[in-house]
Amino acid sequence: MILALIGILIGILIGFYIPVTYSTSYSLYISVAILACLDSVFGGIRANLEQNFDIRIFVTGFFGNAILAALLAYIGDRLGVPLYYAAIFAFGSRLFQNFAIIRRILINR
Amino acid sequence: MDKKYIGNITILIVTIITGILFSFQLKQDIEDYTLVSLNSIKMTKQEINNYKKEIINLKRLIEEKKNEIDNYHKAIIDKDSFAELLKQEIKDIRFEIGLEDVQGPGIIIKIEDNNKEVSYGENVNYDLVHDLDVLKLINDLNAAGAEAISINGQRILSRSEIKCGGPIITVNKQRLAPPFVIKAIGDPKLLYAAINAPNTNGYILKEIRNIKIQTKISDNIFIPRYWGNITFNQAKPIEEGE
Repeated sequence: MILALIGILIGILIGFYIPVTYSTSYSLYISVAILACLDSVFGGIRANLEQNFDIRIFVTGFFGNAILAALLAYIGDRLGVPLYYAAIFAFGSRLFQNFAIIRRILINR
Repeated sequence: MDKKYIGNITILIVTIITGILFSFQLKQDIEDYTLVSLNSIKMTKQEINNYKKEIINLKRLIEEKKNEIDNYHKAIIDKDSFAELLKQEIKDIRFEIGLEDVQGPGIIIKIEDNNKEVSYGENVNYDLVHDLDVLKLINDLNAAGAEAISINGQRILSRSEIKCGGPIITVNKQRLAPPFVIKAIGDPKLLYAAINAPNTNGYILKEIRNIKIQTKISDNIFIPRYWGNITFNQAKPIEEGE
């Protein structure tokens, strides 16, 4: 948990100092991908606390979810259906679920 | 313990990546979160391209006008050519406003009243050619890109009236009686279509009201100049620089 927070902070610092920018038109996809990443991170923390953490599942989930979410947003954009809502709902609800479980584990400890 | 250690490292790396993405997104300075779809980007691009084209056209216009001004400047130095230039310009203007005879390819339309007996209950007005019918035809011809038009030898200018005068119509204050012969110079195919294509005014006159309209394409039509004075009593030109 603390490790994850430290990691995100380091990442934000690094990101601010790396001079990389992308077209604003892609920001929607990146934001959906970020949501997917956050979901994976919370899932990883939860699994870690539950002692059934698997690196392969975690890493594939992290990249796979991010790519799939961005792809879904892109396809939805092309089809004229806001498919990125699906990603937002799915990852958002799972994020809160994972957080609730983490909370319970930490409180009951 | 070893396994958990690797797991922690992985979580750290992954969260760092998440943080980097996070800050990238924060750096974007997005003011509102409306969805910018690829389609709208494409449309905006199209719009920008159109504006660019317009700018290029305007620049070309400026270039042309500059050339004209240069010509005048050159002409001022050389007095003979100045007179020549003005003469040419007067000739051009007279040609443009219809004070010169013109010829070229176009169509000749002959339009005549329907001579059949009027049976009971029929409106005789539908069998006659009215000023409005002629006006509509002239309008259609103008829309089809006619460059010069005359009715029974009366040149149509921008100020020409087409008015009802009982059994006749008046054009340029001259009385004209049917049959009316309308001559128009322009792209013959376009002009022909403007009169004969389905649902045009000419087509309605011909097919519904049975008025006799004959359209003939000709390679060389002569259209006389306007014989009259163009006078302005009320309108005054605005001097430049005032």
